[in-house]
Amino acid sequence: MATYLLKTLLKALVVVLGVSLLVFVLTRSIGNPVNTMLPLGASTAERARLTHQLGLDKPLLAQLGDYVAGVAQGNFGESWWQQESALTVALRPLPFTIELSGIALVLSLVFAIPLGILSALKPRSLLDKVASTSSMLGICVPNFWLGLMLILIFSNLLHWFPTSGTGGWQYWVLPSVTLAVLPLGRITQIVRTAMLEQLRELYIVTARSKGLPEFWVVTRHALKNAGVQIVTMSGWELGRMIAGYTIAIEAVFGLPGIGSLIVDAIGQQDFPLIQAITFVIAICIVFLNILIDLSYPLFNPRVKFK
Amino acid sequence: MNKRLKSVSTILFALVISTSLVLNGCGTSAPNTPQPAAAKKDTISIAIPSEPSTMDVQFADDGNMRAVADNVIESLLTLDGKTMKVIPALATEVSRIDNTRWDIKLRPNVTFQNGNPFTADDVVYSIKRIINPNFKSNIAGFFATFKDAQKIGDLEVHIITTGPDPSMPTRLTLLDILNQKEMLASPDKIKTAVSGTGPYKIVSWTKGQRIVLERNDNYWGTKPAIKTVNYRFIEEDATRAAALRNGEVDFATNMLPEYVSTLPQVQTAEGLEFSLVRMNAVSGVMKDQKIRQAASYAINWDAISKSLYQGYASIAPGQVLKSSYFGFNKNLKAYPFDLAKAKQLLAEAGYKGETITFVGEQGRWLKDGEQEQAIAQMLRDAGFKVNVKMLAFSQWLGVLFPQDPTSTPPDMIFTFHSNDIYDADRTYSTYVLTTGSASSYPKTLDAQIIAARTELDTTKRQQEYEAISQTLYDNPAWLNGINIKDIDGMGKDVVYQPREDMRLIVSEMSFK
Repeated sequence: MATYLLKTLLKALVVVLGVSLLVFVLTRSIGNPVNTMLPLGASTAERARLTHQLGLDKPLLAQLGDYVAGVAQGNFGESWWQQESALTVALRPLPFTIELSGIALVLSLVFAIPLGILSALKPRSLLDKVASTSSMLGICVPNFWLGLMLILIFSNLLHWFPTSGTGGWQYWVLPSVTLAVLPLGRITQIVRTAMLEQLRELYIVTARSKGLPEFWVVTRHALKNAGVQIVTMSGWELGRMIAGYTIAIEAVFGLPGIGSLIVDAIGQQDFPLIQAITFVIAICIVFLNILIDLSYPLFNPRVKFK
Repeated sequence: MNKRLKSVSTILFALVISTSLVLNGCGTSAPNTPQPAAAKKDTISIAIPSEPSTMDVQFADDGNMRAVADNVIESLLTLDGKTMKVIPALATEVSRIDNTRWDIKLRPNVTFQNGNPFTADDVVYSIKRIINPNFKSNIAGFFATFKDAQKIGDLEVHIITTGPDPSMPTRLTLLDILNQKEMLASPDKIKTAVSGTGPYKIVSWTKGQRIVLERNDNYWGTKPAIKTVNYRFIEEDATRAAALRNGEVDFATNMLPEYVSTLPQVQTAEGLEFSLVRMNAVSGVMKDQKIRQAASYAINWDAISKSLYQGYASIAPGQVLKSSYFGFNKNLKAYPFDLAKAKQLLAEAGYKGETITFVGEQGRWLKDGEQEQAIAQMLRDAGFKVNVKMLAFSQWLGVLFPQDPTSTPPDMIFTFHSNDIYDADRTYSTYVLTTGSASSYPKTLDAQIIAARTELDTTKRQQEYEAISQTLYDNPAWLNGINIKDIDGMGKDVVYQPREDMRLIVSEMSFK
């Protein structure tokens, strides 16, 4: 177990370093942020002065050296746009995004698991067809469009929920439903496939021939063994929500999460902030993956960590 | 189906039903249903697109920050929202002593919101701070002509400029006065909870969620009608409009023309920006004056305004200056759309279908990409062979404002030009003067522009700019484009006229 953890942490370090390096190179190739920061009519001298003050006139390798030296001390520099420690700015909205993604994941699991099971039990039945079609639909619908439609229907037409912002539970409904639709589709399909596989296994036949009630066969045996795949998929979806889907959702619903922050940071070409945010997100994803790995023995005791 | 399974599906069904019941149930207690108007409202909710980066008005060039800070912090002079004329604010009198020295008399009995009295020290401090090259101000360029500031008395200051600067009073409308004592005691307050002299003070700033302002009851000027201001940040335009329709906010800035018919009330003002297509008058095909005139006749700006902006855009009056700017030439009219004339001029110039490179960008301004494509197509209709090159914003900016002044400018490049000091000098010294950062025009007007820039006799200066604008009309440096109107959406009960300078001034708002 100890060797496993050590290995995983080492791998994680490589991943985080790799991501940081990639982001460093990418930010430097999207153009000069000075142009975005200064008024359009600023003179060439003003541009040159700010470029110098931000250290962007140094050779790329020297900039990279400064950056790596800073990160090694946990210092991502000051956000150019907010004039505050970039790491502080990046961490502030993180809890919100994790909470929103968590709610959306629970919401999608609550529907996806029963739907997937029922579809697997009666493949090609009407329910299976409806579930498959609607989960495909959920995967295909662009979530920002869905968000706007939900606002139009449930806020403007029916006045059930507020359009945007934060506050009581009503404020969470539309964003989390919008966010849940895509994972709901994917997880339903995974549950269905995994359950179909398990239900064909010999131990199911054994269990059934022993006269176990079908409910136990399905939930205690098949579902538990399908758990590894379901948990992997759910973890992956949670990661994608934190690192991706929330970008559109938070912008649409005017929410104070890391997704809307990264939109602003990229718009402002705030390099230190972009780097800090991607670092924070990379750490989240790596941590999430470790958690998923560690959960496998719960479903399959044969899993050993080496 | 197995009994157990039936119960599973029953549970699932029940879950769906109960969820929808819960969803239904909350219809009765909807959080934001507009309540019947009992007492007169004194709180306004304003939705702006993004959270301000800071409240350090001397540091950033940030419209969202201005939407808040313009109500909290004041400048020495300000603009009348309707006439755009410079009027007194924290200064009562501004007069010129000699070519480079200005005398400023300050308003007596003004206090900052934290109780500190407003004096000459605050003015000197504010000027020295923004012109200090070590302070990374992004707007220092507005004050490039400022050399120094000296305290003369408690309520009198001298400002010394590097040379004669006729736009000095306009610059003073952009110079925000900070609270020196507070700045020295707690330098970080400027980022969030700054206290100014304005009609509103910042009560709280919940990061990511809202900023709340409250009326400053010790304000020296007219007491505003609205007591509390609640700013919310909603990035997506459609959501901002939806929040306004729902009555969750009373005011939403930057509405799209398409939304107008669905909003309770809109008010518009002409913005500060004109689109323009700069032409290379120095080298290449466009060097020929007749070809540049042909391009000017080829564009149907009226069609662009109507089809892309539902008519919420006005055509530049033969120059990219508004009638309220200093140096406006009232005798000029936009080039009429005349395809035959354009074709005739092209023939006279002996244009043989050489490819014209048209550089554009997309996404910085409302429907900029569409406008560029429309212009390019209209040029093609007149007989030009146009090659549109769409660049990423940063690259595009590098072409418009080249780091290397000897590089060859493209035949045409699309931009929006904002004249932030409301003075013809800003436009002409950037786009026409050969040393300007975005110039591709021959030296012919240099002497006139430099003379006008330093001319302190306003009548003479006005005439000089009128002459320059006339020359640029006949021998065009660019195609004069359109000015997209700024659309503010508001609740039915809100009374407000958006200002020509685009500032959002809450003290000018009230409820019916």
